[in-house]
Amino acid sequence: MKRTVPLMIVMVGGILMMIQYFIPHQYSQTLFDYYTTWTPIVGAFALVLGVGSLTRVHSHRIKRKAKNWPYSLAVLIPLYLMPLFALLIPKSIGGGMDNPSVFDFLFMGIQVPIQSTMFSLLAFYIASAAFRAFRAKSALATVLLLAAVVIMLAQVPIGEVIFGKGLQIIGLWILRYPNLAAKRAIMLGVGFGMLATNLKIIFGVERNWLGGTGG
Amino acid sequence: MSTVNNNVWEIMLNIDRRWIFLLIGVVAIIPFLIGIGMPISTTKEVEDIFYHVNELGSDDAIFISFDFAPGTQAENMPMAVAVLRHAFAKNIPVFMTAFFPLGHGMAVSGLDHVTNPEIDGYFQIVSWDEWAYIRETGKTSRSDILAAWRSEGNTLSGNAAGWVFEGRDYALLGFCPMFHLVILGMTNSIANQYPEDYHGNPVAEMPMLNEHKSLREVDLVLTTSGSSACVSWVVYGREKIGLNVAFGVTAVMATDYYPYLQAEQIIGQMGGLRGAAEYEVLMVENGIVETTGKAFTGMDVQSAAHLLIILLIIMGNVAYFAGGFHKKQRLTKGRR
Repeated sequence: MKRTVPLMIVMVGGILMMIQYFIPHQYSQTLFDYYTTWTPIVGAFALVLGVGSLTRVHSHRIKRKAKNWPYSLAVLIPLYLMPLFALLIPKSIGGGMDNPSVFDFLFMGIQVPIQSTMFSLLAFYIASAAFRAFRAKSALATVLLLAAVVIMLAQVPIGEVIFGKGLQIIGLWILRYPNLAAKRAIMLGVGFGMLATNLKIIFGVERNWLGGTGG
Repeated sequence: MSTVNNNVWEIMLNIDRRWIFLLIGVVAIIPFLIGIGMPISTTKEVEDIFYHVNELGSDDAIFISFDFAPGTQAENMPMAVAVLRHAFAKNIPVFMTAFFPLGHGMAVSGLDHVTNPEIDGYFQIVSWDEWAYIRETGKTSRSDILAAWRSEGNTLSGNAAGWVFEGRDYALLGFCPMFHLVILGMTNSIANQYPEDYHGNPVAEMPMLNEHKSLREVDLVLTTSGSSACVSWVVYGREKIGLNVAFGVTAVMATDYYPYLQAEQIIGQMGGLRGAAEYEVLMVENGIVETTGKAFTGMDVQSAAHLLIILLIIMGNVAYFAGGFHKKQRLTKGRR
C-alpha cells in the first residue's frame, strides 16, 4: 500500500498532465490552473521538511560536538536569522528586506561578495590549468587547442585589433556550425534519455524515487 | 648542454602556479586603471535583441528575468542593466522577475543601479503611493500620468534621464517558488501568479497590467541567467504561446544555446560580458545613452586575461615539446 498509492498518483498525474498539454479545452485549462495553484502549495511542505531535516541533522552535530561542528552553527544561525530579520523584526529597528535593513546589509555585504569571489577565482585556476593541461599531444587535442585559442581571441576586442575582422568571422563560424551540431547531438541524446526515464517513472518501471532499489 | 636545456624547460613547466595567479591579478587590474577602451564590433545575436527592444514603445511590455545568483553577476548584471535602461529610455513597461531567491536580490540591485542618483542618466523613481492621486483620476496612459505629475510642479533633477512610475513603467515582481510553473501560470494571468509585487502593491490594479494581463500580451522576455534556468522560458513560454524569448547567459554557457538560436526558439543571445558590451555599444551608437557601461570597460580586462592565457598555453607547449616531454619523458620534480 505504501508503494502502490504513490505509484498510482504518479501514473495518473503524469498521464493526465501529458494529455492535458495537447487539449485546448476549457476543462483542460481549469485542470491545469488547479495544478499550477496546488503544486507550489505542496512544494511549500517540502520546504518545511527540508528546513526541519537540516535543523535536526546540524543540531545533532552540535550536541555531539562532532568533527567541524562549528560549521553547523554557520549553517543554522543564518538559516533562522535571515528570515527573522526579514519578516519579524520591525522596519524601525532594521527589519524588512528593503535597503536599508539588516537583511539587505547581510545579503549585499556577505552573500554577494562571497559568491562573486568564488566565481572570480575560476579565472586564476583556469589560467593555471590551461598552462599545465592544454597540450597538443594528439591530432584531436591539437584541434581542440586551436579552436579554443581562436574562440578566446575572437571573443575579445584585442583579437580583432591584432588579426582583423577575419578572426571574428572564423570564431563565429566555429560557434554557429561545428559547435551547434555537437550541442544539438548532445541535447537530443539527453532529451531522449529524459523521455525514457520519465516514461519509466510514470509507468512504475523506475522506482528509485520511492527510496527502494528500483526495478 | 642538452641536460641544461632540459632543466630550463622543466623549470618552465614546473613554474609555481602562484606566479600565474599573480600575473592574472596584474592583467585584471591594470586595464581597469588605465581604461584602454578597445573598439567592439557587434554580432547579429545581440543586434537582434537590441533592435527588437528598440522598436517597442509605451504600449508594449517586456519581462527581464534575473535568473542568476551573485556568482555570475559580473557577466549577467550588465546585460540586465543595459536592457532595463534601454526600456526605461523608450518608456517600455518592464516586469522584473527571478527564477531563484538570490535572483530577486539581483533584480533589486539592478533596479537600484539604474535609478541611482549618483549615476548620470539615472531614472527617477516615482513610487506607487506617490502617484496614487493621479490614478484616482482614472489616468492610465503614460503621457497623461506624466503630464499630471509635471503639472504638480515636479521637476527632474539635473542628471536624471526621466521618471519611471512604479506600476506603469515597471513592476518588481520578484521571486516566486517553482518558477517554471509560474511561467506556465503567467501564460494565463500575471496577476494570478503575483497578486502583490515585491513592495506589497496590488499587481492587478497596476495600469501596466491593463494592457498586459498575461505573457500572451508581452513582447519579449529577456532571461539573464547563470544556469540552465533560461531554458524554462523556452519550454514553458516559447513553445506554449509563442513568446519571444532572448537569452543573456554567461560566456561558458553561450555555446550551449546556439541550437535554440538556429531553431529560432530564441530571438537573440548575449553571451557573457562580450554580449553585454555589444549591447552597450549599440545603445551609444543609437543615441539611447551617451557613454558605455561596465561591460565595455570589462572587455579590456578580458582582452588582457585571454591574451595572457594564450601566451601561457603557447609557453607550456613550447616547453613541453622542446624539452622532449612528449616522448613520455617524465618530469623529475613534483608540481606545486
